[in-house]
Amino acid sequence: MEQIHFRIHRFDGKKKWIQTYSLPYEKGKTVLWALTKIKDELDPTLNFTSACRHAICGSCGVKVNGNSFLSCKTSLDEIMETFNTTTLTFEPLGNFEVIRDLVIDWEPKVEKMKKVKPWLLADEKVQKENGFKQSEAEFQRISSPTDCVLCGICASECQQLSVNDGQYFEPFIFNKAYRFLVDSRDNQPKEHLRPVLENDLWKCLHCMQCVTQCPKGIDLTDEVAFLREETMKMGEMNNQGARHAYAFFNDVKKKGRLNEMTLPIKTDGLVKTAKTKIPFAYRMVTKGKINPFHFPKEVQGIEGVRKIYKHVLEQEAKS
Amino acid sequence: MLTYDVVIVGAGGAGMMAALSASEDKSLRVACISKIFPTRSHTGAAQGGINAAMGYRDASDTTEQHFKDTVKGSDFLADQDAVEFFTKNMPSMITELDYYGVPFSRDGNGNIAQRPFGGASSPRTCYSADKTGHVILHAVYEQCLKHNVEFLNEWFLLSLSVEDKKLNGLVAMDIKTGDIHPIKAKAVVIATGGFGRIYWNRTTNAINMTGDGSAACFEAGIPLKDPEFVQFHPTGLASTGILLSEACRGEGGYLINKDGERFMERYAPEKMELAPRDLVSRSIETEIKEGRGFGEGIEAYVLMDLRHLGEEKILQRLPQVRELAMDFEGVDLIKEPVPIRPSCHYMMGGIHVTNYETCSTPIAGIHAAGECACVSIHGANRLGGNSVADVVLYGKFAGIGARETARKRQFGKEEPLLKESKKWERRFHSVREKETGTSLVDIRNRLAEAMWNNVGIFRMEDEMADAVKTIDTLIHEYKDAVIGDPAIRYNMAFVNYVEIGNLLNLAKAVALGALNRRESRGSHSRGDYPVRDDINFLQHTLIHKKGEQYELEYIPVKITTYQPEERKY
Repeated sequence: MEQIHFRIHRFDGKKKWIQTYSLPYEKGKTVLWALTKIKDELDPTLNFTSACRHAICGSCGVKVNGNSFLSCKTSLDEIMETFNTTTLTFEPLGNFEVIRDLVIDWEPKVEKMKKVKPWLLADEKVQKENGFKQSEAEFQRISSPTDCVLCGICASECQQLSVNDGQYFEPFIFNKAYRFLVDSRDNQPKEHLRPVLENDLWKCLHCMQCVTQCPKGIDLTDEVAFLREETMKMGEMNNQGARHAYAFFNDVKKKGRLNEMTLPIKTDGLVKTAKTKIPFAYRMVTKGKINPFHFPKEVQGIEGVRKIYKHVLEQEAKS
Repeated sequence: MLTYDVVIVGAGGAGMMAALSASEDKSLRVACISKIFPTRSHTGAAQGGINAAMGYRDASDTTEQHFKDTVKGSDFLADQDAVEFFTKNMPSMITELDYYGVPFSRDGNGNIAQRPFGGASSPRTCYSADKTGHVILHAVYEQCLKHNVEFLNEWFLLSLSVEDKKLNGLVAMDIKTGDIHPIKAKAVVIATGGFGRIYWNRTTNAINMTGDGSAACFEAGIPLKDPEFVQFHPTGLASTGILLSEACRGEGGYLINKDGERFMERYAPEKMELAPRDLVSRSIETEIKEGRGFGEGIEAYVLMDLRHLGEEKILQRLPQVRELAMDFEGVDLIKEPVPIRPSCHYMMGGIHVTNYETCSTPIAGIHAAGECACVSIHGANRLGGNSVADVVLYGKFAGIGARETARKRQFGKEEPLLKESKKWERRFHSVREKETGTSLVDIRNRLAEAMWNNVGIFRMEDEMADAVKTIDTLIHEYKDAVIGDPAIRYNMAFVNYVEIGNLLNLAKAVALGALNRRESRGSHSRGDYPVRDDINFLQHTLIHKKGEQYELEYIPVKITTYQPEERKY
C-alpha cells in the first residue's frame, strides 16, 4: 500500500461537506499522526482537538469508519486491518454538538453532569484539616472509575443516547455517580443516586458498545447494573425498570423461563399495557409469533435453577 | 466590558486551585479562563506522585528533610525561605486533597501510601498508582463545579494590559466565536504551565504547552527568572518525545548505538545504563552528535533494547511501558528495540515571582503559580514529585494572594485596555486575510531544531550564539508568517500562530540565559564550563524584555539554612 485516503467530515458553523486527503503510508503511525500531518502539511483550516498525545487528557476522541476512538492511541495499521480498507472516514464524536470540523462542545455535558453532584459529599464533621482513613480494598473500588478521562467516547457510542430525548445520562455521568457512590469517604449516596434514577437509568440497553470502546476499559454496564440495584435497595421498586427486572426474576424462579405474555403487564400494569400494547400484540398473534393461550410449564431441571437462586440469595445475604 | 475582580488564566492544577481559593470570598467575581477544557490540562500527565513529609511510611521523615533534599536537588539555586514555606505547608495540602476526594493509593493502615523517589532521603511521595496528576486534576475540577467557579473554556489569552507597573486587565479570544474581549480585572493569576514546546516534538509536554502566560507577562514587563534551566528526561520516544518510564533502565534495558555497541560503557563503565538522568541524556546526545546514532538531525535516535529480559519479565514488570511503545511508536518491546532520545520535560524557570507567600510579581495585580512561575523552589533542577506539589500548593496561595489584592486594589484604566483589544482585532483581521508569506510550521520546526541542537542538553558558547542568531532571524520572518485559514470561528491556525510567537520570545530568553551562565549547575550543563561557579553564578538570572531588546540582570539567591556544598549522591 502506498497511500492512505481520508474522508473528513467538515463543518464551518453553517455548511457541512466531506473533504478528501491522501498521505503516503508510514508504518506504525496513529490516527492523531494523520490528523496532525494533514493540518501541518495539507490543510491548515482543518480543526480537531488534541493535547497530551498519550491517552490521559481525553481531548482527541474521533469517529473512524463509524466507531469512536481516542485518536492518539489508535494505530492506523490496526484500523485499516479491522475495516479492511485504505480509505478512512473521520467524523466528530456522535451525540455531541459540533463546533467546527471534528471539534465538539462539552459545555452542555458539564451542565448535565452537575446533576449527579459529581464531587465528594463527606460527613459535615470532616474538615479540610483532617484526612480520611481508607483501606486498600476501599481504594480499589474507586480506582477503575477514576481512570475516566472524560473523552466522551462512551457517549458517542451510546445507542440509547442517539434515540433518547436528551434526558438520559451519558455513560461517563453514570460513572461519575458510581465513583462517589462506592467511595467510602462519601456519606450521602442518595444525592448522587436519585438524579441517576430520575434520568432514565433503566433505559440502558446493555449493548456494551461503551465498554467495548472505552480507552480505559471501564466496566460501564456493570456500573449501571450496580446503580440499578442500589436504587432498588433505596426502595425505588415502583418504576418500570424495577418491575421489569422483578418480572424476569420471578418468572425464571417459578418456571425457569420467561412468560412473555405477562411480562408487559407486570412491567407497565394492565391499563397501560391494554392502551399501548394491544394492537402490537394483535399483530404478533395474527402473524403466529405468539400464542396467547400458551402458558409455559416448568423447564426440565427447574430444581437446578432454584438451587442457583438459593445460592445467590445466600451469598447476597452474607455480603 | 467584561469585568471581574479576579481572573485566573489556565485551568490546570494551579489555575483551578487558585480559582477555588479566590472564589471562597463570595463577594468577589472570579473567572477562570482556559484555552482548553479544564481536565485536558497537562497536570493530568504527571504520573509518579506528590511529595509531602507525612511520615506515614517513614515516621522519622520531617518537613526539614524535605526542605534539605529540595535545596540540594536544586543545586543550591532555590530560594530557601520559599522552599521552607513550601515543604512546611505540603502535609496539610495533602489532607486537603484527600478532603476534596482525590483517590490516593493507601497503605495497610488506611493512610495515604508513599513511595521512594529520586533525590529524596525518605519515601515521601504520595501517589495514586501511576496516575497521580490525573486524579488530582479531576478532583480539583469537581470542587470547582461544586463551588460554581465560572469557567470561560476555550478562551485564549492574547495579552495583558499594564501601565506604570499596574494591571488594567487582559485581552482574550473566545475561540468558539472568534470574538476578542477586553477583560477588566483587579487581579489576575497566571497559571499557564511550562513551555517545553520550544523544542517542539522533543518534549514530553502536551502539544499546547506554549507558555502563553509567561510570554504575556514577559511582554508586559515582568522579567523571566532562570529560564536557562530546562530538565531533560533521557528516554523519550524518538518520534513523539512521549516519556518512557525510568523503570526500563531500572529493569536492565540496554542502550545501543548504530554500531550495536552498549555505548554507556564509554561514559559510565560501572553504572552503565543506570547512571543518573542528566549523564545518560548527555551520553545519548554525544553518540548522536558524533555520528553513531540512527537517522539524521532532529529525527536521530538510539535504541533501547529490552529483548534480553524475556517476554515474561517484560509483561510482568513493564506492561504499561510496553503498551506505550506499542501504541505510540508501533514497537513491541518483546520483539524489537525501541527508538529513543532524550526529551525536554520541565521548565524550572519562569515568571519572576517576588513574594513566595502571595505569588505576586513586580506588577501590581499580577500573580503567577505552577510551572509558568519561578518562585524559586526548584532552582537549577527539580526533584521528581515536587511539580504537582508546587502546582497545588502555590495555586492555592496565589489564589489567596489574588483575593487579597482584589480587596485592596481599585480597577485600572479602561482606555489602554480597549486600545490593546482593538490592536488584537486588527491583527486577527490582517493575519486572516494574508494569503502568502512564511510557513508557520517551517518557523516552528526551525526553532525546535536550533534549540535542540544548540541549546539542548549539551551547551557550548558558539553554538548558543548561533541559536540566538537563528531565533532573531525567525522572529523577523514571523512578522511575515501566513496561517492559511481565513475563518473567524474556531480558528486554531490563528491560535497556533500566537502560540508560536510566544515560543519564539521565550526561546530567545532561554538561549540568552544559557549563553550568559558560564558554569554548569543542575540541568544546565556546559561543555566549555563544566563546573559549578558559586563565586560568579550563585545568582538568579533575570531577563527583561523591553520592546525588541532583551536585558540581563542577576539577583542574589536567598540562603537561610543550608550553605552550598558539592552535590553528590
